[in-house]
Amino acid sequence: MALTDTKFNLATHQRAERKKLATVVEWQSSEGRFYVLQESEPADWSSKFTSYYTKDGDTYTAVTGSTAPTWAASTYYTRVERELLGRRTEDSSIEYNPDIETSTDILGINYADVNKTQPSQEFSPHLILGGSRLSEYLNDKRRRNAISEISNFTAYIITLFIGDTTNGYATERHSDCTITYDSLGGESNVDFPITVHYSNDITVGTIDEFKEGFTFTPETGNVG
Amino acid sequence: MDKNEAIITYLLQCPAIQNSPLYFNFINAKDDNKQIVTQANDKIIDKPFIDGSIQKRFTFTIMDYKSIAYTAVVKELNNMSATLVYPNENLEDIIDVQGIIDWISEQEVLRNYPDFGEDCVIDDIKALSDNPSLNSVDTSTNPPLAKYSISIQINYVDYSQVLFN
Repeated sequence: MALTDTKFNLATHQRAERKKLATVVEWQSSEGRFYVLQESEPADWSSKFTSYYTKDGDTYTAVTGSTAPTWAASTYYTRVERELLGRRTEDSSIEYNPDIETSTDILGINYADVNKTQPSQEFSPHLILGGSRLSEYLNDKRRRNAISEISNFTAYIITLFIGDTTNGYATERHSDCTITYDSLGGESNVDFPITVHYSNDITVGTIDEFKEGFTFTPETGNVG
Repeated sequence: MDKNEAIITYLLQCPAIQNSPLYFNFINAKDDNKQIVTQANDKIIDKPFIDGSIQKRFTFTIMDYKSIAYTAVVKELNNMSATLVYPNENLEDIIDVQGIIDWISEQEVLRNYPDFGEDCVIDDIKALSDNPSLNSVDTSTNPPLAKYSISIQINYVDYSQVLFN
């Protein structure tokens, strides 16, 4: 599936509803509901190959053996969990936080150079809700202060106002993102606001459907 | 399910309601009859979330009609003290109406809510006052009827417009 037309699928002057910009995060989980095809050899392949899966028909089977099999692209699957962010959140934006260096020449002309962007997105409030697997996962890290374990998320920024059901919807995948929990408490309900720190390790592609079980397809020749 | 039907089905679990005739919006008022009156729920308080879900509020009022008695609740014994005359119909009636409010409070603790369908998640249900209001007394009927009211508020999230699930 390839998205050949990146124009907005909106009528002239039609506004894009906020719900058409979705952020989904994904993390490796032995109890995850989804499987993602590995496109490249994971860093822990030699030591944790048994946490990956092969697929036969609709059945996924964990890799077994005493030593890691030879890596083969598009053969092994990672078991993951996913969650759409923004339940009970009224307002959230991706802040790109550009690091800008400006200068002015002797003619008074201004120049601006962007050294880098450090995109992040805060979700506040982010209430503790029954059924939220991400909150359960992050709360476990919080209880153990396991801050080394909160930097392995994949984040998908999905723009449902670009694309269609035939060609898929434009999506940016950021690998190895960090999600920080910013506080815990609140008034009448427990709030657990979080911030997604995007890695800028981007793969551009498409997703095929509006469900957490979507398949992400990278664009060929995309610039990461 | 229509929300009004869901409310009626729900209220029929209430002991203070299930043994009395229950009417919807229109009633030929008689002693111990109860009436659900719908209220316009202002959309301006709807709170949209970024996933497309919307926090909404459903409010309705229960009217409870009770015959009244012109009986003093205290009997003066002397200049220094008085005693409660019991039973007193008016006092017993308001305790009966209060039972609806108490039942609603118990259901909130139990998280027993009306069934608004699979697209809605109810956050809470509560009576808007701790005790019933006495709205009016109709002395043209025989016996005269007091009209008590209780406003009930349900806060819920409507997920029907969510695109991504």
